[in-house]
Amino acid sequence: MKTKCIQKDLIFYLDNELSVEMRTAVEKHLEECADCRSFLAFLQEGIQIIEKEKNPEVTPFFYTRLSARLEEKPVYQTQSQWVRLAQPAFFSLVLLAGIYGGLKLGSNASSPKVYQQATNSAQMLNDFATEPIESFLLDEL
Amino acid sequence: MDEAQLIKGIQQGDRKSFQTLVETYQRMVVNTCLAIVHNKADAEDLAQDVFVEIFRTAENFRGDSKVSTWLYRIATNRSLNMIRNNKRKRFFQSIEEAFTGGRNHGSEVSESRNDQPDQNITDQQRSDLLHRAIDRLPEKQRIAFTLNKYEELPYQQIAEIMEISLASVESLIHRAKKNLQEQLLDCYKKKCV
Ligand SMILES: [Zn+2]
Repeated sequence: MKTKCIQKDLIFYLDNELSVEMRTAVEKHLEECADCRSFLAFLQEGIQIIEKEKNPEVTPFFYTRLSARLEEKPVYQTQSQWVRLAQPAFFSLVLLAGIYGGLKLGSNASSPKVYQQATNSAQMLNDFATEPIESFLLDEL
Repeated sequence: MDEAQLIKGIQQGDRKSFQTLVETYQRMVVNTCLAIVHNKADAEDLAQDVFVEIFRTAENFRGDSKVSTWLYRIATNRSLNMIRNNKRKRFFQSIEEAFTGGRNHGSEVSESRNDQPDQNITDQQRSDLLHRAIDRLPEKQRIAFTLNKYEELPYQQIAEIMEISLASVESLIHRAKKNLQEQLLDCYKKKCV
């Protein structure tokens, strides 16, 4: 009789992190289950990409370029930082103005509702700036 | 020259010491950034920023941790910042496009992943899949996992870099692997590549 599929243990099997008993059970299952064997190969090839791409050659002029950058005045950074902050702020204002204007035009909305919708969109913008929602959810796992 | 002397030299503005430090660690820093941003040109730009920061803030280095720990910390923070900024830029671009009718399509955000044209299709697809899966990990899992897999760092040093406990590192890496496996399994079942 075929044992239960062990796909959820395979990454730990590859990294040699299973107990002896679990390792034996995984190997036994792999002998009899082609689907798990096939996923193991898929997983292994995926993870092995790391070995192929890591430690790339660094361009030979890395230090020369760096040395030139050290002559620059650090002022540029404060400027670009200002632009970075101003741009989202500007677009947020445009967006909120748009939403507010749209709701105003939609006339029959009562004023408390308008206020609530505007706060909701501001909330959404703030959330986006910090963490994408999917990583927030994954964190709970 | 040992690390303490090197840092002392840099603190006194000695370029030769700085060059030695850069040449010793450039590959490590580029590799760390690459693991997070997946693009070699971006990774080298980030590594440049890391070393500029080192040069300009060397006097703050207290010497109670290894130089590499300091470099890893700056490199991972800067890489995450680049990812966050790119996300933000994409978000505001999409709003801008909604207002302007999409005239600014594809301007300055650089996130191309294929700068190696001679790789075969399957490896490229695998690499894209793995990068997507890594990108979806929560930030702490991503950092712990990439430091462990790309830099082969022991959990203890990862704990020092991230300023968290050893148990937290173990838990982060365990969850990262589970998450990656889930994503790859999902793709495997749906035949997404
Ligand atoms: Zn099976």
